[in-house]
Amino acid sequence: MSFPEAGLSVAVDIGGTFTDVALTDQASGRTWRAKTPSTPADPSEAFLSGIRLALGDAGADASALAHVLHGTTVATNMILEGKGAPAALVTTKGFRHVLSIGRQDIPRKANLYTWVKPKPPVPASRILEVGERIGAGGTVIEPLDEESVRAAAAAIAGMGVSVVAVSLLHAFANPAHERRVGEILRAELPGVMVTLSTDVLPVVREYERSLATVLNATVMPGVTTYVQRLEERLAEEGAGAPLMLMQSNGGVAGAAKIRLAPALTALSGPAAGVVGARAAARACGIDDIITVDIGGTSADICLIKGGEIGLTQSGSVGDWPLALPIVDMITIGAGGGSIARIRDAALSVGPQSAGARPGPAAYGHGGTEPTVTDAHVVLGQLPARLLGGRMSLDAAAARRAVEEKVAGPLGLDALTAARGILAIADNHMVGAVRVVSVERGHDPRDFTLVPFGGAGPLHGCALADLLGITRVLIPLAPGVLCADGLLAADLKAEFSQALPSPGAMDAAEAAGIVAGLEAQAAEWFDEEGVAPADRRTACRALMRYRGQGGEIAVDYAACPAETEAHFTAGHRALYGFTLEAQIELVTLRVEATGLAASPPVIPLAEGREVPVSEHAEVFIGDTPTQVPVVDRAALGAGAVLTGPLILTQLDTTSFIAPGWTGTVHPSGAILLTREEPRS
Amino acid sequence: MTLTSSREAAPAAAAAEEISPVTIEVIKGALRSAQAEMERLLQRTAMSPVIREKQDYFCGLFDREGRLLIGTKLPILGNILGPVLEQFPISEMRPGDVYWYDDPYLSEGGVSHTPDQVFVAPIFVEGELAGFTHSWAHFLDIGGMRSGSTTPDATEIFHEGILIPPVRLYREGVLNDDLLRTFLRNSRLPEMSRGDIRAMLASVELGGRRMAELFARFGVERAHTAFDRLIEQTRSTARRRMREIFTPGRYAFTELIDTDGHGTGPIAIRMELTAEGEHLTLDATRTDDQTRGPINFIMHPSSLQMVFGVYIIAGHPELMFNEGLLDLVDEVRLREGSVISPRFPAALGQRSITLARVTSACLGLVAVARPDLALGSSSAYSANKLRGTLKGSGAPFLKTLAIAAGQGARPDSDGPDAIYFLNQQNYPLEFAEQNYPLLMLTYALNPDSGGPGRWRGGCGVVREFRMLSDTATASLRMSNVDFPAYGVAGGMCGRSGRFVLNPGQEGERRLPSLAGGIELATGDVLRIEMPGGGGFGDPFDREPARVLRDVLGGMVSAAAALEDYGVVLDPQAGTVDEPATAAWREAHRRPVAMFHRRGYFDAAGWVAEADRAVRAARAAAE
Repeated sequence: MSFPEAGLSVAVDIGGTFTDVALTDQASGRTWRAKTPSTPADPSEAFLSGIRLALGDAGADASALAHVLHGTTVATNMILEGKGAPAALVTTKGFRHVLSIGRQDIPRKANLYTWVKPKPPVPASRILEVGERIGAGGTVIEPLDEESVRAAAAAIAGMGVSVVAVSLLHAFANPAHERRVGEILRAELPGVMVTLSTDVLPVVREYERSLATVLNATVMPGVTTYVQRLEERLAEEGAGAPLMLMQSNGGVAGAAKIRLAPALTALSGPAAGVVGARAAARACGIDDIITVDIGGTSADICLIKGGEIGLTQSGSVGDWPLALPIVDMITIGAGGGSIARIRDAALSVGPQSAGARPGPAAYGHGGTEPTVTDAHVVLGQLPARLLGGRMSLDAAAARRAVEEKVAGPLGLDALTAARGILAIADNHMVGAVRVVSVERGHDPRDFTLVPFGGAGPLHGCALADLLGITRVLIPLAPGVLCADGLLAADLKAEFSQALPSPGAMDAAEAAGIVAGLEAQAAEWFDEEGVAPADRRTACRALMRYRGQGGEIAVDYAACPAETEAHFTAGHRALYGFTLEAQIELVTLRVEATGLAASPPVIPLAEGREVPVSEHAEVFIGDTPTQVPVVDRAALGAGAVLTGPLILTQLDTTSFIAPGWTGTVHPSGAILLTREEPRS
Repeated sequence: MTLTSSREAAPAAAAAEEISPVTIEVIKGALRSAQAEMERLLQRTAMSPVIREKQDYFCGLFDREGRLLIGTKLPILGNILGPVLEQFPISEMRPGDVYWYDDPYLSEGGVSHTPDQVFVAPIFVEGELAGFTHSWAHFLDIGGMRSGSTTPDATEIFHEGILIPPVRLYREGVLNDDLLRTFLRNSRLPEMSRGDIRAMLASVELGGRRMAELFARFGVERAHTAFDRLIEQTRSTARRRMREIFTPGRYAFTELIDTDGHGTGPIAIRMELTAEGEHLTLDATRTDDQTRGPINFIMHPSSLQMVFGVYIIAGHPELMFNEGLLDLVDEVRLREGSVISPRFPAALGQRSITLARVTSACLGLVAVARPDLALGSSSAYSANKLRGTLKGSGAPFLKTLAIAAGQGARPDSDGPDAIYFLNQQNYPLEFAEQNYPLLMLTYALNPDSGGPGRWRGGCGVVREFRMLSDTATASLRMSNVDFPAYGVAGGMCGRSGRFVLNPGQEGERRLPSLAGGIELATGDVLRIEMPGGGGFGDPFDREPARVLRDVLGGMVSAAAALEDYGVVLDPQAGTVDEPATAAWREAHRRPVAMFHRRGYFDAAGWVAEADRAVRAARAAAE
């Protein structure tokens, strides 16, 4: 079987409140969507009932499924909430406290007197030392003391853990000791899972490598159980299709690979959204975009240039740096549920969030704190009565929260307070957009802004105005874009090997390593069933000037001089200068991609009419204005929308601000433009 | 001085009606993101690992009157702009000017040792001066008697690199190339210094651009009204909190520095704070004299305000770190010729030792005034340098070794283990072994170094390594060896640290804690055991489960669990004997007092004991 192939692909994205499903017929391009309440106690229930709903709409049977794609936050949540499985760590004698020491710093913005060091995912009491030592370059300085490994296994047996991580010094340069430790532990501890740093992140830096391995260990039992449950459900349903999971790198991989390295899924949620936004923009022929994914508690911001999603190895999840390749984006604590509050006479918005429960005051679940969503309600941009009454918000509660908690204490009227809350939230997001654009040498005005997520399309025009951006693209289904991202995602995997000792690139040595990595990639392509025509590999060299602490990834070429030229150019582009120092090759990486299917796009039927279902009172400035409310489902391709206007659909509400004009693209996306940037 | 200083009567009140809290908040956000952007640009484009990896830098912004709008949370600097304004009147400044200094004496502590370079640029809007922007960073080498510029064996500032008084590097955009060439000629690493200067200038320029955008959006006058309000927000909360801590009365505290590395020690920092009504006077004039060794610290009075400011603002993330913190104490009295107000040309390179004890003394005053808020004292980090030649090639190397200590416990949590300072990350061991002739043998927490307490002080680290070089010379510096970090409210002091050469081998010996020029032969093993932070509260009140966790984790030994904490446990089984523990604690509970360093003292006894220690050492020396 190959990936992709004709047949039905189903994507399931499980969120905190709803599970979204998108089903596509790869041959015709037809898509069916379904939404069902999530079932946190056993997420596989909603997983399956969602698939059933979509299949029912399509009139198809589970056996017709060719692929099941899934984005899961199981690993993310376990890491963020510190609720992973208890694990043990085996490390080199003398280095038991590498995780406790960390990088020995207090974060730059923290206060010396209140900052508390986060507790390592594995406490020092469950870290065991074994006798062995590999030196720089991979030479064995002290052979492995196998008795000490058996003693460690005996101690671990008494700890009652279900998983053990192994991270030895310089193992990336010579994995022999780690592999042998793994063998002994598996033999001595039947039923206990073992994960080696060499398999998770074979690169230099003992703290980051150990941490990634330990995080991988703590999420392994949970993810394994979870994946197995989904596979059983699918089998019971008669679906023979393989289960593919979204990874933090923006690609999917088969369940077998994820079971070995579940930490690869740690940021899969936001990554899927970015892939979905890119697909929506591509369908409109747009390759340069800035995506702003605004959810309930946070906003994820990512810049895509020329259709390429950049990866970083210096990302983080919660308190922890995670050196695995992840989509290069930044996350800030500003979302629809972010709470506005006053302290020391200053008004702030977020990072505290009302979450899904009780949520914003307007949701009527008992929330009394004013949130960003409540500010939208007060201003009328989010009408209290939506979709002909199928949804309603408690406008009075929203207004009360804003008045009591913000407007009153500051001596403002409710409208000014609401505008203030939005201005502060928007300002925060603009700062984040600057980080991914201006600070990396890109002018945001050259990009199209793609707002999505439940709260994104309410902020799109305002953010664009603040940034001087004149083009905004609102995807067809902004609130459920992650499911679209799953359908559009390629299969992806990275295979890395650090050089035994960094130094000037040696053509023969590098070629040998690259050949080995490409063989691993080929094997993976076979395992995942990728057709030869859909296989792509790119080889990257991670290089630095001697003495530098970080590497940059550049295109590898067989000829050292050429690779070094790529490095010099890359260094200049990123940092603005080059050095006369020796250029060192540190790590080689093969990035393997199995191209996803591109089913034909069924264009939206033409329809110039803009049926206005009702009007809502929106405050434009201080003026109450009757603004048309349009049901997005009723629009055809080519329809022209003039702001101010509110667009409603099941998954989100969009506000088209005055001065903006929208056109419905045949792909279903809406392209908004402003003639002149707002001064 | 009256109860309300002149700053309180700022024009803020008059403009209060004209500016909304939202605009203030948006301007606050703009200042914060401008500073963050400047700092990221500097870190990204600088060449030296001190800036890029160790992150020893920061940037800030000032308004048109030179008031600090946003600064650093390092409790070190309060007088960045003053030295420039004193030399160059605002009326003579032009767009495109950039000013520069690294002279601690002529800047009156604007910087406190020579490797720190400061660049300042004025911001003009339509021909009118509207503010200032600055960058500050530590350079790897600016000349001096040894590579790296500062060393414990320096005895005058001329040993510590080139002095740049406040000068103008650019006039209306035109570079004074002669000045730059002269500076670079004095560095062992001229290309690195040139690259770092370029990065700092780019950062200053970016700050100017962002401020100009802010002024274009809000107007210079409106922005300044917002600045007034932001300063007042910080000022009023911080002053109020200060006066809640220091109610009328007199508070005294003394902290001791081990040694100057040249035969003098201990050196006392004596602080007295008097609160009369709302008026606070801090008198440090009884502090001991300056020393021959380079631990002298030129402390501008505003630096002391900052030391309190960092503490006071903790827990108030909404407040800006701005000029409002420079007004916490109404009057600061220093004595010229003391170790915190040295006369030219005393050497200053190791002044971090003194800064750390000044901070500890200020927090001691807080503890005297409000035992419930007391913080265990934090041990200072250890900064060492290894210089030498490689085997085979004979090529020279310079390796800095920055080693973490334990922080003091707080009234509601343990002190963090293994902390160097704000930012300033360590150099990964695997990198160190790849790039330098070292074989690491141990990198671990130093057991029992954290001061026992209801809340335990943080542990320092142990680092042990073998020299694989041909020749090597070490500069060593460690604090809290003779006088470990004190404990509070019944908590005990942290344990002291030491340098040991060739531990467990023939010829094992302790090395001095502050010295340069120590020869290390091929194969020598150096063990660095770092001190811990002071504890908070009676250790007999610590939950036995926490003690057990610390024992199993290697932070506390089983012996210390019984001796210090009165907990009877079986580390093999991983269990606590609760009845035996209760009985032991009952039988062995001892009286505790507010401060602890190898014995408990009340506030008055503490000051007397410090004086006794100084007198005893002086007598022994004579």
